[in-house]
Amino acid sequence: MAEVILENICKTYGNNFHAIDQLNLSVEDGEFLILVGPSGCGKSTALRMIAGLEDVTSGSLRIGGVDVVDMPPKDRDIAMVFQSYALYPHMTVSENIAFSMRLAGKPKAERKKRVDEIAKTLQLTSLLDSKPANLSGGQRQRVAMGRAMVREPAAFLMDEPLSNLDAKLRVQMRAEITSLQKQLGVTTIYVTHDQTEAMTMGDRVAVLKGGVLQQVDTPKRLYESPVNAFVAGFIGSPSMNLFEATLMGDELTVGAFAIRLQNAAFGRRPGLKSYAGRKVVFGIRPEDLYDSNLESGRKYQTIPAKVTSIEELGSEHIVHLSIDAARVDSGDPDAVQDFGMASNAVAKFEPVSAVRSGSEIRLALDDTKLHFFDPETHLAI
Amino acid sequence: MTRQKRSRHRLKRTVAPYLYLSPSLVIIGLLMLLPMVTVISYSFQNSAVLRRDSSFAGLKHYQAIFADPVFWASLWHTLYFTCISVIFHMTIGMIFALMLNSDRINPTLRNILRVLYILPWLFTAVIIAVIWRLLLEPNGVVNSILMQLGIIGSKIEWFSSPETALHAVTFANIWAGYPLFMVSLLAGLQGIPKDFYEAADIDGAKAYQKLIFITIPQLMPIIISISLLDFIWTMQVFPLIWITTGGGPIYSTEVLSTYTYKLAFSSYNLSQAAASAVVILLISLGLTLFYIRYQKAR
Repeated sequence: MAEVILENICKTYGNNFHAIDQLNLSVEDGEFLILVGPSGCGKSTALRMIAGLEDVTSGSLRIGGVDVVDMPPKDRDIAMVFQSYALYPHMTVSENIAFSMRLAGKPKAERKKRVDEIAKTLQLTSLLDSKPANLSGGQRQRVAMGRAMVREPAAFLMDEPLSNLDAKLRVQMRAEITSLQKQLGVTTIYVTHDQTEAMTMGDRVAVLKGGVLQQVDTPKRLYESPVNAFVAGFIGSPSMNLFEATLMGDELTVGAFAIRLQNAAFGRRPGLKSYAGRKVVFGIRPEDLYDSNLESGRKYQTIPAKVTSIEELGSEHIVHLSIDAARVDSGDPDAVQDFGMASNAVAKFEPVSAVRSGSEIRLALDDTKLHFFDPETHLAI
Repeated sequence: MTRQKRSRHRLKRTVAPYLYLSPSLVIIGLLMLLPMVTVISYSFQNSAVLRRDSSFAGLKHYQAIFADPVFWASLWHTLYFTCISVIFHMTIGMIFALMLNSDRINPTLRNILRVLYILPWLFTAVIIAVIWRLLLEPNGVVNSILMQLGIIGSKIEWFSSPETALHAVTFANIWAGYPLFMVSLLAGLQGIPKDFYEAADIDGAKAYQKLIFITIPQLMPIIISISLLDFIWTMQVFPLIWITTGGGPIYSTEVLSTYTYKLAFSSYNLSQAAASAVVILLISLGLTLFYIRYQKAR
């Protein structure tokens, strides 16, 4: 077990493309760190550099205190779980798990003993003689985990290991991997583009965009205090609603309506006062918007909105709205464009909400949950 | 729909596939099955083709060719020629395919090599035979180079000496036939996921271990299929041997195809030639059945 430290890591390709720019990251011993970001943000490249599958252009990389930049993958004492699992189709589950021991020339009896132990932990004992083609997605995933575990590495690296599973199985495997990591206590770096995985699995989450680290924090702090509009938009589903407004006194003027701000809002963000009379970006999460006709929304101030469409999910309603305000792009290239021509905001309402598509409503908002960003730099205020 | 209409419809549906197949079946029947059956029937006749009233000969011609030492020499030469050719086709094809698939070789050089390595495939058997006859002539390039390097002391008559002729034709055939393996294995190599090698790198596999544990098992279906096909085709090679050595000297390169040809068109013993052809057919058929069973098992 070991800590993994990346200092000023850069990766530049031949065409001068900067895949990673000055990445500084410290993963503590036994920690479960998630690398998350939209496609092309460099998260897999960063992981592959840690594994030794990609060269580091500049910077220092230490695993367990040892500089591994010039070390081949096999000497880095890491194990990797690939997105495709990379299970050898011509080998049985048992042979796949024991492969690294076989390469190392370990005796057959020792291999069998270790494989049996791992199979027991991963509930694969009855499948040891099966070939990967005869396994379900979840079972293959577990075999890939087993192959990583057999080496007893200092760190696990996982590259989107759940992306090939269906939604239901993914939820189950998410829990299995998390509890296994806790049980083994091995430092783990896990790459995903799925922010739900990031929020539910990791001790800390590192958000990357365009090869640049945006924020490393606990899931709770990422959600509550994003450092910029990108992180605010990327973390949370549906994404945070971001709009442009003008701060006039203690009011945010947005198109034809205004949102009153409480003194506490300025108390929490001393910098906000300097934006008086200027434009500012404010954000509100869909779960902080309420149907004003319901008890939950009565205590909040309201703004006018028009319902454009509703997704009834049973436990909640995802309500697409049109608000008289200019929407701000968070900069997430993967963001699902669920805003049609007519819609520019999303709210999560309780399932008892009676709002109908096409109706004009008063939308209640919890102004204590507003986030503020600089309109130029998109940094949090 | 009435019952009559329904049964007519069903009949149409049953017959339709066979109607679509019929043109190809007729062509195969006329051009392949009919000659095959005719040759088999000749092998059981006395003076087949030569006489109108040829009589039934039983297994006489088979007994005759089995008693002929040249037949057994031809069979041995055929097996040697085929086995050595297939083994080297596979080995050379694999080495070249691995080279062409390697990231360590400059892409431009790889493209040039790809064209160079595939060249033997572009030549017809006659041209290959002429090229190698010229190269392996006593006064040819090969002798001259080997002598200059001090590997041989005097000129060797590669195709005219009974000691070297079979090796020489086999060598020419190896040169002519490896591109099939190379192209097929290259396609196979490009289909092996990169993740397999990366996972092996992390697990500490050395280059030869990756070859043994990943590459070869992954290519095995291609290796077996192409080897079987190559075996069947090489067993029947005729023009290369006929043009380079004609089966000589002193039967040293006689293979079943040249042996059969000579029986038919030099000795005009068409019945025995037919019996010899049937032996070739049975060996090829055995291999083909093995190939079909292997394909089905996959």
